[in-house]
Amino acid sequence: MSTRHILIAGLLGLLGLAFWHLAADYLPDAALNPTAAYYAAHAADQTGAPNLVTGIIITWRGLDTLGEVTVLFLTSAIVALVLAQSKAPAGAAGPGFLPAGELLATGTRMLLPLIALFGAYVIANGHLSPGGGFQGGAVLASGVLLALLAQPRMRIGHALLARVESVSGLGYILVGLAGLAFASGFLDTAFLPLGRFGALLSAGAIPLISVLIGLKVGAEFATILQSLEEGEDAAQEEDAA
Amino acid sequence: MVSALWILALGLGGAFGLGLVPRGRGDLAFALMLGALGAMLLVALGWLAVMAGGAAPVLITTAAAPAPFAISLHIGLPEAVLVTTVLIAGALGALALRGALLRLGRGAMAVLLVLMMALSGLILTRDIFNLFVFFELISIATAGLVLLSPDPRALAAGFKYLVIGQIVSILLLIGIVFTYHANGALGLDHIAATAPGVAGAGLAMFLLLIALVVELKPFPANGWALDIYESAHPGFSALFSAGSGTAAVFALAKVAAVAGPAWAPLLTGLGLLSFLGAGLLALRQTNDRRLLGYSSVGQLGLVLAVIGQGDVLGEATAFIAGGILLAHAAAKAGLFWLSALVPGRGLGDWAALRRRPILVLAFASFIAMLIGLPPFPGFYAKWELAQALVAHGRMPVLGSVLFGSLLEAAFLFRWFGRAMKAESAEVPSANPIDTAIVLAALAAGWGLGALWGALSGLSNVLTTIPVLFALAFVALEPLPARIKNVIAILGLVGWFVLRLPDYDPLRLIFAIVMLPGGAVILLASFTEGGRRLGFYPPAMLMYAGMALLLDAVTTFQFFAAWELLTLGSYFLILRGQRSEPHAQSYILFSLGGAFALLAGFALAGQGALDLRLDALSDIPVTIAPWVFVLLALGFMTKTAAMGLHIWLPGAHAEAETDVSPMVSGVLLKAGLYGIVILLSELGRQRLMGVDLVNMLAWIGALSAFIGAVLAVFQEDAKRLLAYSSISQMGYALFGLALFSHLGWLLALMFVINHYLYKSMLFLAVGGVYRRTHTKLMYQMGGLITLMPFSFFSVLIGIVAMSGVPPLSGFGGRWIFYNAILGTDLRLPLVMIFLAGPVGFLYLFRLIHTIFLGQLKDPHRQIKEAPFWMLVPQMIYVALLIGFAVLPGMILRRVDTYLGTVFGDHPLIWTGRAVSSEFGHWNPVGIMLVIIGIFVSVGAILLAKVHGAQKVKQFNIVFSAERPYRPETTHFAWNFFAPYRRAVGFLEAPVATRFWGGIGDALTAGAELTRRLYTGNGQLYATQVVLFVLVAWAIIFGGQS
Amino acid sequence: MIALALFTGFALILLGLYGALTNRDLIRMIVAFTIADTGVNVVLVAVGYLPGRTAPILDAAVPVAEAAARVIDPVPQALVLTAIVIGLGVTALMLAYAWRLFRARGSLDISDFTELKW
Repeated sequence: MSTRHILIAGLLGLLGLAFWHLAADYLPDAALNPTAAYYAAHAADQTGAPNLVTGIIITWRGLDTLGEVTVLFLTSAIVALVLAQSKAPAGAAGPGFLPAGELLATGTRMLLPLIALFGAYVIANGHLSPGGGFQGGAVLASGVLLALLAQPRMRIGHALLARVESVSGLGYILVGLAGLAFASGFLDTAFLPLGRFGALLSAGAIPLISVLIGLKVGAEFATILQSLEEGEDAAQEEDAA
Repeated sequence: MVSALWILALGLGGAFGLGLVPRGRGDLAFALMLGALGAMLLVALGWLAVMAGGAAPVLITTAAAPAPFAISLHIGLPEAVLVTTVLIAGALGALALRGALLRLGRGAMAVLLVLMMALSGLILTRDIFNLFVFFELISIATAGLVLLSPDPRALAAGFKYLVIGQIVSILLLIGIVFTYHANGALGLDHIAATAPGVAGAGLAMFLLLIALVVELKPFPANGWALDIYESAHPGFSALFSAGSGTAAVFALAKVAAVAGPAWAPLLTGLGLLSFLGAGLLALRQTNDRRLLGYSSVGQLGLVLAVIGQGDVLGEATAFIAGGILLAHAAAKAGLFWLSALVPGRGLGDWAALRRRPILVLAFASFIAMLIGLPPFPGFYAKWELAQALVAHGRMPVLGSVLFGSLLEAAFLFRWFGRAMKAESAEVPSANPIDTAIVLAALAAGWGLGALWGALSGLSNVLTTIPVLFALAFVALEPLPARIKNVIAILGLVGWFVLRLPDYDPLRLIFAIVMLPGGAVILLASFTEGGRRLGFYPPAMLMYAGMALLLDAVTTFQFFAAWELLTLGSYFLILRGQRSEPHAQSYILFSLGGAFALLAGFALAGQGALDLRLDALSDIPVTIAPWVFVLLALGFMTKTAAMGLHIWLPGAHAEAETDVSPMVSGVLLKAGLYGIVILLSELGRQRLMGVDLVNMLAWIGALSAFIGAVLAVFQEDAKRLLAYSSISQMGYALFGLALFSHLGWLLALMFVINHYLYKSMLFLAVGGVYRRTHTKLMYQMGGLITLMPFSFFSVLIGIVAMSGVPPLSGFGGRWIFYNAILGTDLRLPLVMIFLAGPVGFLYLFRLIHTIFLGQLKDPHRQIKEAPFWMLVPQMIYVALLIGFAVLPGMILRRVDTYLGTVFGDHPLIWTGRAVSSEFGHWNPVGIMLVIIGIFVSVGAILLAKVHGAQKVKQFNIVFSAERPYRPETTHFAWNFFAPYRRAVGFLEAPVATRFWGGIGDALTAGAELTRRLYTGNGQLYATQVVLFVLVAWAIIFGGQS
Repeated sequence: MIALALFTGFALILLGLYGALTNRDLIRMIVAFTIADTGVNVVLVAVGYLPGRTAPILDAAVPVAEAAARVIDPVPQALVLTAIVIGLGVTALMLAYAWRLFRARGSLDISDFTELKW
C-alpha cells in the first residue's frame, strides 16, 4: 500500500466517522411520518393504486419520474453521440464480433417471447403489485440484450427506436398536461376514472403512464445497448446522415 | 397566464419530439429546438411580467395532493427573473452553438433542450429530491454538451466532471434521505417549518448543503470545473457559467433559507474563500477561458457569501445577490461568446478585438460589470452590501469582499490592458450571428444597469445628463475627431454655464478647473486627425464623473461619480503607447482608494442606505475618526500622497500628449476636492491620541519634499513633471491640513495655479515630444530657436511654478508663508520650505536642458509644436500673467467665502494690494519692479553681447563625472549628480518595493496554489472529499 | 436489523469510494462507483423501514383502513427507484466516455489525462 492509498483510506475513515454518526444516531420512526401516512390514507381515493410505491412514483412524485425517464433519454442520446464520434486510432483493433453458440441462439429464440410477455405483465400490473414501467421496460430491454448477444449483427432500426421513444415520451407529457387540464394538476392521474380499487383496469391514468414508461425505457435501454454494441459503426451512419 | 409547468413540459416535449424529425433534416430539428426554447422563454417572460406587476407568488402543485405530499413548484419574482435569464442565455447559447449542434444532430439538440428544462426546474422546484433529479439531469446533459467542443481534451474533462458528479450525488442522496427522516417530508417549505439546528439531524442538512456548495465549483475543490471551462465549446461554457451557475446558486439559496441561520457562517466562509482563492489564482492565469472559469468560481463564491449574510441583509439580499448574479450572467456569457470570435487562447490574443471597436466596448463593459463598477448592477449591489455589513459590524466580511474585488479587478484589467496593447495580426471572426449574440449580452448588461439603478432607491447613474452625454459619444464614434472635439468642448462649457448659479465659491474653483479647464485642454486635441476611436467616450466619462462629483450631495452620488471618473481616466491613460503597466497600477490604486471610500461612507452611514454629505459632520464621535482615516486614505490615493504615489509617475508620463494634462492638471483636483469635503465636514479628529489633521500635514509636507527630490533626478521630462505633481499636491494637502483660513486659501490657489502651469508644461513638453520623439531630456537641447512658443510657455510655467516673482506662484508662496508662520508644525514646515528650492532645481533643468545648450543633429529640421497645441498654452500664459496681476479676480471671492467658514479675515484687501499681519503684497507693484530689473539686466547683457563666445560642440565639462555610456557624455545626463550623492537615499524606492513586495507575494502564492490543480481527476475527487471533511470539521468541531 | 442495513450501506459507500479514489483504471473506477451507488441505495431503503411492518401494497392482507398502521414508509422506496435509474444512466455514460477515451488515447489510466491543469 502506497502512501497515497493510506492517505485516502484515512480520509475515507474520517468520512466514515460522519457516516457513523448518522447510522449510530438513527432511530427508526415508531409510526409513519405525515407524508407516508398521507399516502397510505389517500391511496384509494387519489390514485387508486394499491401499490403505494407506484402511486407515489407515477402520481405524487410524477415529476421525478418524468425526470428519471429523461435521464435515460439523455443517456441514450449522449451515449449515441459519444460513440458516434469515436474514431479508432490507427492500429487499434475494432470490437470484432464473436459468433454466438448454438445453445445461446436457440435459447434466445425460446426465451424472447417469454421475456416480452413477462415484461408486458410487469408493466401492466405495476399499480397492483411490485413492478411498473421501469421494471418492465428493463425486462423488455433484457430481451434486446439477449438478442444482441445471440445475433451480434442483428439491428432494430434506430429510426424505429427513436420513434417509439419520442412518441411514448410525448404521450407521457400529454398525459401529464391532461392532468393539468382535466384534473387538479400536472401529472394528476385522476382525470381518468379510478375504477374499482385493485382491478387491472383501474387507478386512472397510472397504467397508461406505466405502459408509456415501459415502452420508453425499453426503447432507451435498447438504444444504449445497441450503441454500446455498435461502437464506431455508428460513426459512419451519423456522418452519412 | 399558463402554468409555469409549461416551461418544463415544452422543454421536454421539444426534446422528445426531436426524435420524430427525419434524420438528415438538421435544419428542421434546429428550428424545432429554437421554437421550443422560444416558447419556454415566452412563458417565462409572461410570468416575469406578471410578477414584476406585483402579483403574489404562486405555488404550483402537481398531481392531486398539496405540498409536501406531491412535488410542488414555486414561482415568484426571483424565480421568474432567473428562469428568464437562464432561458435567454439558453436561446442565445443555442445560436452560439449552432455549428456544433448541426454537426452532431438532433440528439445533441435534445440534450440542450433538456438542460434548459432542468435548469428551469431547478429554479422552480420546492422539493429536495426533485432538486436532486434536476441536478442529475443537468450534470448528465453537461457531460453530453461538453462533447460539442472541437477540443479533444474536452473528453477527459467530461469524464472528470462525471467522477465528481458521482461523489456529489452520493452526498446529496444521503443528505436528502436523512433530512427526510428527520422532517418527515421532502418539501422545502415543510422542512423550513421543522428545520433542525446544527446538532443531530444537522449532519444530514450539512451533507445536503455541502453537496450543493460543491455544485458551485468552490475553490479549492474545483479543478474539474475549470477543465470544463477551458476545453468546452465557448458557447457551452457560457451556459455552464451563466445558466448552470445561476440556477445552482439559487438552488443553494432555497435550501439555505430553510436550513436556518446556523449555517450562514459556513456559507459565508466558503463563499469568501472561493471569491478570494479564485481571484488569487487567476492572477497567474494565461488561458482566457480558464481565466473566465476562475472568475465564475469567484463570482459564485461572492453570491454564496451574500446569501450567507442574509441575516443582516434582510430584504436587500435579493437585490444584492440578484444584481451580482445577473450582471455576472450577462458579462460571463458575453465574454465566453466573445472568446469564440477571438482566434487565439492567450490573453494577448484578444488584441485581435481592436480591429472591431464595438467588440472592445463590449469587452470593457463586461469587465466593468464583473467588477461591479458603475453603471452596472454590481455597483449598486456592492454599495448596499457595504452599508448593511458595516451597520452590523461585519467588517471582516466587507474587507474580504473588497479585497476580493480588488483581486478580480487586478486580473481582469491585466487582461484588458494586455489585449489593448499586445500586437496581433489576427482578425476576429466577423460572423454576424456570433457578433449579434455578444451585442445582445452587452445590451442586457446595460439594461440591467439602468434597471438596478432605478430599483436601488439611490440616484440612477444612467439617468444623469453628464453620463448620458458621455455615452452619446459611443454613438458619435464614426464622426471625425475634430467634430467630436467641438461637441465635447461645447458640452463641458455648456454644463458649466448651466450649473454656474448653483456652485458656491469653493465648488466654483474646482468647477472652473474641471469643466472650462478641461475644455481648454481639449483644444489641444484638435491636433489629432482621423476618428480617434476610443478617446472621447472615456474622456467624457471622466469629465462626467467630475461634473457629478461637484453636484454630489449624498455619499452615494459622490462615490458613484468617483468611480466613474476613475474608470474613464483608466481607459484614457491606457491609450498611451507604453502605458499598460502604469494604467494597471493606476486602476488598482484607484480602486483600492475607492474601496476605502466605500468603507468609510458605509461606516458613516451606520445602516442608512445613503447619507447627505453635510450630515457627515453629525456622525458619532466614536466612529468619526475611523471614517476620517478611511476617507483620507481614499482621497490621498488620488492625490498620490507619498507612499500611495507609485502609480502616478508612469500613468501621467506615459499617457498621450493631451491626456497627461487632463489627468494631471484636472483629475488630481478631484482628490483635493475630496479632502476639502472631508475636512470641512469632519474637522479635526483624534485617533489614539494622534491628531489626524496634523498627520495629513505631515504627509503633505513629506510628499512635497520627497516628490520634489525625486523630480530632480528624472531624465524623462514628463516623468519630471509627474513627480512634480506629487510634490505640488503635497503642498496643497499641507495647506488644507493647516486647517486655517490662509492654508485653505493657499490650497485653493494651488488648485488653479497647478492646473494652469502643469497643463501648460505637459502640453509644451508634449509638443516637444511630438517633434523630437523623445522625452529624455539629455537627448534634446537648443530647441529655443526652433520652438520659441513652447520655450516661452515653459519659461512662464516654471516661473509661475517655482514661486518666484512676479507670477502667481509668488502670490501663492506669499499666502503660504503667511499661513505657516501661524502654525507650530516645525519639522513639516522646514520640509515645505526646503521643497521650494528643490523645486527650482528640477524646473531649471527642464528649461535649461531642453531649450538651451546645443541643438542635436537629428533635431535640426524640426518645427514648432502644432498650432492647436500652442493655443491652450498661450491661453494659459495669458491667464497666468492675468492671474498674477489681478489675483483678486477669484481669490477675493474665495477669501470672503472662507471668512464665513473660518470666521476670521487675516487678509485685508485694499485696491490691488493685500496685507496680512506679516506684511503686504502688491502684485502690480511687484510686476513693475521685476520688469524693471529684467529690462535693466537685459540691457546690460545686450550691451556686452559682442564679447560672447559660441560654445563648441566638444567643449564639455564633466564636473568630475566619469562618462561611461554615450549619453553620459552629455552634460545634462545625471544633471544633479552631486545632489544625488548627497540626498540620493531619499530616492530609495521604499514605497515601490513595499507595494511590489505585496504584488510579488500574491503572484507567488497564486503560482504555488494553482499547483493543486494537477489535472488528475482522481486527485480532484479526493480534494472534494477533503473539502467536505474540512468543512465538517470546522462546523461540527466545536460540538463533538 | 436497520442498523445492520445502514452500516452495510455505508460500508459499501466507503468501499466504493476507496476503490474509485485509488484505482487509476477508468473501468475499475466506474465499477467502484456502482458499488458506492449500491451502498447509497441500501441506505435509502433502510431509512424507510419500520420494524414489524409489511410492504406498502394494499391488498387483502393490508386493508386500506389499516394501511397507516401496517405498512412501512413507501417514500424511500420510490426515491430509491429513481436513484437506481439515475445511477444506471450515469454509469452507462461513464462507460461510453471511457470507451471513447480509450479509442482516442489508447489508455484507460486516469493519470494520463492531465493535459488540462493549473
